[in-house]
Amino acid sequence: MDRLRTYLGLSTVGDSAVDEKLTELKRRKILRRLWTGLVIVVGAVLFDQSLQTVGFSFRELITQFPFFLEALPQYFPPTTYFGLPFIDVMQYWQFMIEADLFGKSQVTMAIAFAGTVLGLPGALLFGILASERVVPYPFNFVFRLTMSMIRAIPALVWALIFIPLGGVSPFTGMLAIMVDTTGYLGRLFTDELEEIGDGPIEGIESTGAAKTQIISFGMLSQVFRQFIAWIAFDLEHNVRVAISLGLIGAGGLGLELDIQRKTFNYTEMMACIILIVLLAGSVELLSQRVRSYLRDEDEVEKTGVLEAFLSAPRKIVESAAGRR
Amino acid sequence: MSTLTIENLTKEYGDVTAVSDVSFEIEDEFVVLLGESGAGKSTLLRCINGLTDPTDGDVYLDGKPVSGSQPSIGMIFQQHNLVEGVSAYLNSLTGSLERTSFVDSLFQWNDRADKRKALEALQTVGLLDEAHQRVSQMSGGQQQRVGIARALVQDPSLVLADEPVASLDPSSAESVMGYLKKAARAHQVTALVSLHQVNIAAHFGERFIGLRDGWLLFDVEQDELTPDLIDDLYGDVETVGLTEQHAADPASERPEARVGR
Repeated sequence: MDRLRTYLGLSTVGDSAVDEKLTELKRRKILRRLWTGLVIVVGAVLFDQSLQTVGFSFRELITQFPFFLEALPQYFPPTTYFGLPFIDVMQYWQFMIEADLFGKSQVTMAIAFAGTVLGLPGALLFGILASERVVPYPFNFVFRLTMSMIRAIPALVWALIFIPLGGVSPFTGMLAIMVDTTGYLGRLFTDELEEIGDGPIEGIESTGAAKTQIISFGMLSQVFRQFIAWIAFDLEHNVRVAISLGLIGAGGLGLELDIQRKTFNYTEMMACIILIVLLAGSVELLSQRVRSYLRDEDEVEKTGVLEAFLSAPRKIVESAAGRR
Repeated sequence: MSTLTIENLTKEYGDVTAVSDVSFEIEDEFVVLLGESGAGKSTLLRCINGLTDPTDGDVYLDGKPVSGSQPSIGMIFQQHNLVEGVSAYLNSLTGSLERTSFVDSLFQWNDRADKRKALEALQTVGLLDEAHQRVSQMSGGQQQRVGIARALVQDPSLVLADEPVASLDPSSAESVMGYLKKAARAHQVTALVSLHQVNIAAHFGERFIGLRDGWLLFDVEQDELTPDLIDDLYGDVETVGLTEQHAADPASERPEARVGR
């Protein structure tokens, strides 16, 4: 009994300072081990309950695995070209024509483009008024805050909010992108305006120009090309958002993907995914070329063709979540 | 034809006095403002132009008090202060902003007369053929000439230049100064130019005003600018001494400016 008490550090052996410290350290060690044990037990209980909630069972995996293997050739229908086995690309192509997937990618593009154009005036207005050089502190913060609040809500959620306004339709998707553009592009404009030089502003001011002229000729003229570049960047972003909005019913390619998923048509699903990757990747490449042309002095990050397509799915999700 | 009158001009930044109690009057001359860096040249010019408010004292142009920036005073900056992303022509045209309404200026619906004036000003500084070029693609000397053109388009009666050639190589500097003097003559404007290259100053100036620590040190005609005055202004600086030979006798053996005469 005494040995146990000693082991747990509850009673001291010897009475020197070193002995006392040793006992204290023992007590601390025991306490730490008790906590660790408790955390492990709680974690195990939570893990077990989680598995039960999601209905995890090895039997399910084992019985379903043949079905997954069966689905694989549907995702990637095999055929032979000149005796060599390969994916039957023509099946994808047939579905793309049949379901008018190219028409549907036009819907996606239309949602993105119309949303960008409609959001642009708001972005310009808020972006310029949020700049401290145009509207004096603290009044510019009214506009900054408004944009922050818009950006705090991702486009996906804006679309859900607007459903009573436009129904589950491309129109609602466009409204969501319009609001998203005002918050996001406006912020990019403001940031760009912070970096302009005083020189041209004074140059214009010295001619006796009016305040509005000083803003447009001295300030905005300095960032005009950068603004165009940011618009291209935002359009690229909005195409990705439009694809993901389709998944919740806003139409276009995303909607088609959702429909095919619900009807377990794996080949058709993959055809949609391929086209989505191609669309998002091409728009990104195009936007990058435009931007690097406009920003002749500054460097624009350039991704390779393959990288643009490979990273498209990840970027679609990021854009939809409003994570920038 | 104009008269610039400065009366007891003082500018303080906190405890620092940049310009203290400076008074002078210039009329239809090409006046050079001399002084070390920090002597108050830029501050004085900015006060005259209205970009900076003086602490005390007055500025009159043709008897009328000057307040705020106005087209009758053209300003040329050391760093050009042009809109770099657009053409030389559009930069030159910004000189006419004050007499153009906001909407008209936005859509470049300036008067045809103003558009012609913008090109004529570029012609004066020898850049008519380059009018369509983007300013960011021009050399420093060319950019500064665009700056001169913009000031001319304002139809000013007074042109101020704040170290217009400080960032240029000697050849471009001489050419820009040549154009500036030619433009001032052709448009009959009074010019007040701050410089810190004594030899360039002596070559182009008709009258010299020296500032030291914000005080007016001297105000002399061309033939009165002596090496002693320069010594007073800069202290005993060896390399300035070298240029004094030219300063003392600007006409002798110095080649004429390549342009503008």
